[in-house]
Order: sequence, then structure tokens, then C-alpha cells
Amino acid sequence: MGFSTDAIHAGQPPDPSTGAIITPIFQTTTYYQEELGKDKGYVYSRSANPTRTALEKNIAVLEKGKYGLAFSSGMAAIHTVSKLLKAGDHAVVSNDVYGGTYRLFQKVMNDYGLEFTFIDMTDLQNLKEAIKPNTRLVHLESPTNPLLTITDIPGAVEICKAKNIIVSVDNTFMSPYFQNPLLLGVDLVIHSSTKYLGGHSDVIGGMIVTSSEELYERMKFIQNSIGAVPSPFDSWLLLRSTKTLAVRMERHNYNAFEIAKFLQSNISGENRANAKYRIKNIKRVIYPGLENYPQHEIAKKQMTGFGGMVSFEVENFERAKDVLHKFKLFTLAESLGGVESLVCHPATMTHASIPKEEREKNGLTDGIIRLSVGIEDVFDLIDDIKQALA
Amino acid sequence: MNDNKEKKYSMETHLIYGKAFTEKWDYNHHVVPPISSSTTFRLDSAERGALGFAEFGNTCNLPNGEEPIYIYDRLGEPNKEILEENLAYAELGETAVTFASGMGAISAIFGVLTKTGDEIICHKTLYGCTFSLLNNWYPRYNVGVKKVDLTDSFNLENAISEKTKVVYFESPSNPNLELIDIKQITDIVKKFNANRNETDQIKVVIDNTFATPFCQRPITLGVDFVIHSLTKNIGGFGTDMGGVIVGPKKYRDVIMLYRKDFGAVLGTKSAWPIMVYGLTSLPIRLQKEINSAMKVAEYLEKHPAITYVNYPGLPSFKYYELAKRQMIDYNENFAPGNMIYFAVKGKNAEEGKENGRKVMDFIAKNSYTITLAVSLGHIRTLCEHPGSMTHSMIPAEEQIKEGIDPAGIRLSVGLEDPADIIMDLSEALSQI
Repeated sequence: MGFSTDAIHAGQPPDPSTGAIITPIFQTTTYYQEELGKDKGYVYSRSANPTRTALEKNIAVLEKGKYGLAFSSGMAAIHTVSKLLKAGDHAVVSNDVYGGTYRLFQKVMNDYGLEFTFIDMTDLQNLKEAIKPNTRLVHLESPTNPLLTITDIPGAVEICKAKNIIVSVDNTFMSPYFQNPLLLGVDLVIHSSTKYLGGHSDVIGGMIVTSSEELYERMKFIQNSIGAVPSPFDSWLLLRSTKTLAVRMERHNYNAFEIAKFLQSNISGENRANAKYRIKNIKRVIYPGLENYPQHEIAKKQMTGFGGMVSFEVENFERAKDVLHKFKLFTLAESLGGVESLVCHPATMTHASIPKEEREKNGLTDGIIRLSVGIEDVFDLIDDIKQALA
Repeated sequence: MNDNKEKKYSMETHLIYGKAFTEKWDYNHHVVPPISSSTTFRLDSAERGALGFAEFGNTCNLPNGEEPIYIYDRLGEPNKEILEENLAYAELGETAVTFASGMGAISAIFGVLTKTGDEIICHKTLYGCTFSLLNNWYPRYNVGVKKVDLTDSFNLENAISEKTKVVYFESPSNPNLELIDIKQITDIVKKFNANRNETDQIKVVIDNTFATPFCQRPITLGVDFVIHSLTKNIGGFGTDMGGVIVGPKKYRDVIMLYRKDFGAVLGTKSAWPIMVYGLTSLPIRLQKEINSAMKVAEYLEKHPAITYVNYPGLPSFKYYELAKRQMIDYNENFAPGNMIYFAVKGKNAEEGKENGRKVMDFIAKNSYTITLAVSLGHIRTLCEHPGSMTHSMIPAEEQIKEGIDPAGIRLSVGLEDPADIIMDLSEALSQI
């Protein structure tokens, strides 16, 4: 089935007892048992709930995996992945992961005897060197947040497979519509479903998809033990959202590409003569779809689109602050992937939990501004950027 | 479990379980019903679709226990229908049909029971929007509306004409808590109906919102249809709007047809909370609120700044004896409700109105337990002052002529500690 067909139908046939086209919100905590040990697959809603099951099946199909697990947040999903490790185990992580992931690994899981090495994953030589005998997990984002760097996913998988290391990819930025890491050989795909999967900035959630029965069983056990599960209502909202994922992603991608091209044209000075506003001092534009983007070729190989995130750099913090305050349509806020456009300052917001030195070493300077491009009229968005940068 | 076995349980238990095993939705494996969230329903075949449409509005001829065919939310879906079963149960009626609001239910019952040339007799004091419906819209269809004082049944006997089709009232009435002798009204109507054929029968309709089914079951006193704004006591938490008509089973089809065509259908996401935590907690909420209202009414009655207190539980209340007869809970205890109406003192009408406004403004700014807001039957204590709010444009003297006491305040007692409610009231009344 095609992606948009699966998005609408997978995991959610009409309700067998009423014919309801839309899966009901199974807002119950517990289930009647006919006799001891005899149930219909549902006993208690932390363990399983029919609305959540529909969501888990739906996303599993969209990510081309066999099994899906839904969580109450993206961090709960990543936490579950880290729980696959035990004291003494080692994990290699890309050095510009989402700040919350860095915080969880380095400031929480560290205390439980897990060891993390953060590396520049764009160069796979670094990965080879970082792997130790006790390395059990490689976790990466591609593209990363907010610098949108790309890791050669099949290349990383090849290195890890030989050593029996689990590879997990946080696919939040691409959504299953533009990238399916399981098809590139990875073991686990993670989503903050708060972002593009949810798409309307109204539900917090996380997902893990895998095709490994063994990993699934273990993570399902962890999911039930930790208890970070989404409510039936949140699950239902996400089922509403995935139905429009394909059309939303097409539009996010189109708008972001137009904005990236517009920003880029200002660096090269092509449009300057006609510009209504004079745009000052953009140092660089970061969007994997741009031909001059350093990893454009790898991006084209493993992604079918370039997504809705665009970052760009201005000269310094003062200038960034000035620009951020001038936006009228783009809202200054954390999070991303919603239908409405947001702008954020990663150094002081999403990535503030990473030490400044570490951040700057990776290129995340105080001048970086991240746009989550929504699905508004792109001309209105470009006008807003023009006036903010004027 | 079949109906007969369920009958041995008390009403409070019933309100929690409803019909424990309903044919409306095979959800019984879930302890709490799911929230239906589909506008449309898959049909097995065109034939089944046709059957569904044929059965809609024709259920009287169907055997009991038949599984419903769901087609489209506006026609019917499981959440509403389970709630309807439970509401019919609560009012000891045969069937219930829910609506998007209390006004949706009220306009539907008039719509179903009248046609051009007919006449409605109603009590002189009514909820403002019901009054507006009858005053502004029914004359357009040439349906007459006679407003009489039904606290005196003699007025009803005089008012009934050949054209009369509906007798409509609230008891207690909104806002001033007049009681109407329900049994007496239905006896009179029965007498007139004896000479009329089936299609010309006069129907008695009561809005039972103030009393709630916990405090009063008008169908047992001969009333044909009971209306509720579910938004109030039955919903109870102030989160959802809704309305209902409870009445004889033979009217279900025509009311459903009316709802389908006029479209004031209750949303599933509102039906669910009313069903799951509104109706189920009605008895415990009302018991507590009645106890508190009694204390508040006794306090107000002794307060020097108060001229009178209308509360059905006070022996001094004009309709106390009647209240004791018709306001009784499921266990036959006196249940005078959670609504109080009282008037503050003033040298004249204008000063009374001004004092009422002062008390309201003080409450709005300073009270923790009393909220200045319309609506009622809420877990929070709410108050409103018709004289300075809903009817403020009318001069005080004129208000009296229209039956509104310019100094009158309506209080809906909530679940707070009654000592706290009294403390807030005493601070507010000290402003006079």
C-alpha cells in the first residue's frame, strides 16, 4: 500500500461492534474478565489499550516495521531505549543530539553505570574509533537538531552490525514520510510524536518502531514496567494526525525549501537589488535540500525529501535576539513540526542543557536561529522573515 | 443480566451501572464505555443500510433487545444511546432522547407536540430563554401561548381551551423557586383529556432541571414529558452542555425524527462525561448540597439584611407542605434541592436593586467559594442577581410588575464546606 493509504487505514479498521469508521477513544482503565485468566487481550490500560494499539500498529506500518510502541513523550521513548543497556554498557551518540537526549544520557543514565561517548557522527571513522568491546548501542539523529547534519545511516549500520551493536535513529525531523531508517538497516526508530506525527502542537508523545521481535518484547516489558504510556485520548489525537501526515509533510518541505532558497539568495546577493528590505549579514543557511549543502548527496540517497526545518546563522547573540523579537508570524517557542511556524534560539532554549564549549565545538553558536516552517502561505512566511531580518 | 434481575438493586446503584449489559454497544469488556468518535459508520451491505433507514423512526415495531444499526452520528450513536437509557432510568420514564442543550430539548418538545393553530399554556415565570422561545418564535407559526399563574390550579381550568395541546412549567421555577402542585396539574389535564381523542390529548411537560431526578420524579405524578438541561445538576461539573426529553416510548421515534431533521444533536464527547461522571455522582452531590443549602437557607433567614428566603426545605417557605409531598429522593427522604432564592432589604425597589448589585459586586471581587456566574447545579456555588444582570435594563418598579424582585438573588449551592459559603455570604451581606 502507498504511504498515504496506510496512514489512513493501517491499524484502524472500522470498529467491529458498531461499524464506527473512526477508532473510538477507549477511555477505560480496566477490563472485564469472563473468568480467571480469560480476557480479550486487554487487562489494564497501562499494559495495553485498544486506541493505543491502533496507533502502535499504524506507526509501525508507516515506518515499515513490524512492531510499534507508544509512549507519553519522546523522552520516555528514548529512556526506554537506554533501558536496553545495563550497568557497564557503553553507547556511542552523535554529539549534536537534541539537548534533552544529551541531558538524559549524560546527567541521569550516567548515574546508573552507563557510559556514553559523544562523537561527530558525520565522519564514520570517529564511530569506528569510539566503539569499545562493551559498546551495545549507537544512537543518532539524522538530520540532527538544529544543525541538520546528516549521518550516512547504512554506513553506520554496516560498522555496528558486524559487532552486534543496536543502532537506533531518532527520525523525528524527517517523519516516516521522508525517511525510513529500518529500510536502511537500523534496529530501532524513535520519534517524538509531539512533532510532525502529531503535527498540531496539541499532544505530547513518543514512539519506537522495530522489526526485531526480541527487542520489541523487551521494550514492551520496559514500557509496562516504567508506565510512561500515552492516554487513550492522546493516542486518538495522534491517529487523527497521521492521516494527514503525507499532505502536511509535502507542504512543510515545499515551504522550507522556498525559504531556504530565499535566505541563500540573500547570501549570494542575487536578490539584493530588488529586495524590498535590505537583509543584513546572514552568515550561512542550513538546509539539506540546498545543492551547496555539504551533505546534500547523502541526504538525497537516504531521504525522499528534506523536511520542514531550516536553520541559519547571524553574526552573534545580540543580532539573533534582535531578529527573534521582530518575527510576527513565526512564533518564538520551543518544539517544532506543527502546522504553525515557530522560531527558536537553540543555544539558549532547546540546547541550553549542553555546555557552551561543547555546543560551539559542534558549530552550534549563539547566532544560530532555527525555523520550524509551518504550512502557512509561503509568501507570508517569507515576508515575515524579510521584515525580521531587515 | 436481564432487566428483571437488575430491578432488585437500588437506584443509586443503577445510576452507576445503568443498564449493565446494553445492546447499544458491545463494549462490556471495557469497564468504562469508550468515547465514540466517528461521524459515520460502516455498513455491511446496502441492504443493511436500507434497513437502518427504515428502522429509524420506526423502532416501536421492533422487538426489544434488537441491536441498533448505526449510520451517522446525527441519527444515533452508542454514547448518546447508553446515556439515554440511563437518563430514562433515573427519571423512571420509558425512554429518553438527548439534545445538544437544554434549549434544544425544550424547542424539540414544543416542536413535536404543537402545530399551527394550537395553544401552549405555561406558567407565568419561566427560564428567560424558554420565555424568549415562546414569545419570539411561536407566534410566527401561529401557535398561541397563554401565560398563567399555575401555582393556583383554578387558573389552569379556566385557561384550557379546545386548542390547548401543552401545559408547560418548571417546579421549582427559575429564578424565584415557586412550586407548582404537579399532581394537581396532571389530574386536571386528565379530566380534560377524558373527552378528547388520542391525537388531541393535552400533554403535560415539566422542566425538572432545578429539582433533578434525585429530588423529584414528575412522571410518577402523571407528567408526560420531563425536560432537563443536562448542563446543570446532571452534568454537574460545568464541563459540558446537554439536554434531554424523557417520556413515553411511543414518542421516541417522532422525537428522534425531529432531532435528526433539526439537528440539535448531543456530541459524543459531551455525552461521555455526563454519562461517566455526571449522572453517576448525582446522588452523592445532591445529598451533600441539600445539607449545605439547608444550612445556608437557615443562616440567610435569620440575617437582618434579608427580607425573605425561598427554599423548599424551610418550614417558613410558602410551598413547604407541597415540597414535602413532591420533592422526595429515591429513598423517600425529603429532598428540597440545592437552589435558594433570597431578597435583600431596601427602603424601596430601587434601593433593593442597588443593594443586590452591591452584594454581587462584593462577591465577584472577594469571595472564594461563591462565583458570580450564570448557570447552576455546578460543583461550585454560583450566584446571580436578575435585577442587575439579566434584567438590568428594566427599571426596578417595572421589574416588580413583570414578577421579578429587583432585590432577589439566586444561589446555586455547590460542594464546598457550607461554613465557608456562609462566611463569604456574611462578608458580602455586611456591605448593606
